[in-house]
Amino acid sequence: MRFTLIKDLKQDNAMKPILSGLLLFIIIYIISDVMVKQSSFGIFAHEVQLTLFGNADEFLEPISKSSFLEFIHMEIFFLMMILLTLSAVFARLSNKQPYSILIINIAMISALTSLITLGLTYFVNDSFINIYVGSFFTWHIVTSYMALYSLWKLHYAKSV
Amino acid sequence: MQKAYKYSILYFLAFSLLLLVSAVLLFEEKIGFSYESVLAYYMGDEERFVTPKSGTGVLKIILPHIFAFGLFLMVILHFLIFTKVNKSKKIQLIIYLSFGTAFFELFTPFLIINGFEFFAYMKIVSFFSLFFLVIYVSWLLFQSVMYE
Repeated sequence: MRFTLIKDLKQDNAMKPILSGLLLFIIIYIISDVMVKQSSFGIFAHEVQLTLFGNADEFLEPISKSSFLEFIHMEIFFLMMILLTLSAVFARLSNKQPYSILIINIAMISALTSLITLGLTYFVNDSFINIYVGSFFTWHIVTSYMALYSLWKLHYAKSV
Repeated sequence: MQKAYKYSILYFLAFSLLLLVSAVLLFEEKIGFSYESVLAYYMGDEERFVTPKSGTGVLKIILPHIFAFGLFLMVILHFLIFTKVNKSKKIQLIIYLSFGTAFFELFTPFLIINGFEFFAYMKIVSFFSLFFLVIYVSWLLFQSVMYE
């Protein structure tokens, strides 16, 4: 988190390419996450429902409880690390504070909602599935925006 | 501290809580919290068709956790530097205890599969010690972010 203490990141020969690399990798992760989920877990309500609960007519087995818990446990870990890093970079590069706080709140709340509602869908009631899908897309879109905006600020803003 | 960073830390603590809840559920589902169930998971149980774990098997399970524990503890504990606790000797104790219990939590299975059955208790104790240490650190950080 040394970048939070540097006065002008644009003039820093080391931190500017390091942060650019980090942001680029975060963008690639977000895109890859959607692609991997689409091919394995599903990203739309009916696909996720099929993965979680299976379908007797199509002989599709539901996901086991331990597999589901392993999946969500890893999701939480990756999400918390990515969101903490990205929000710290975004907060440093965005000079309009109320605006950056609003964006960070939307990203974090939607990510938390997606994790909680996925758990509720599996353990409590499948009616939470639409909230999960909505929040899943929200956090992907908002974090993509945060990463792209930070990259733009890093390269095209007068001073950051 | 800038307000946006405070929000980031608060959300990180919320994620940490979710991580702990999922860890407890996972531990309960896969291993169980009794001495017998921990032994059965690692030493095998013919009645429940559980095969005994080998050293390589245990290493495969803990491998991602070795890095994840180190990273998670580093991140959450380094926030303590920005709190009042930083000025007291308590911070060192918390840091050593956290990494120590995490080490025990990860590596006691090797002792269990090598016949030191007593360490099944240590596995459970170290799991809950780490759990409560992370809760305590989260509480210290929460207080600091909200009131300092």
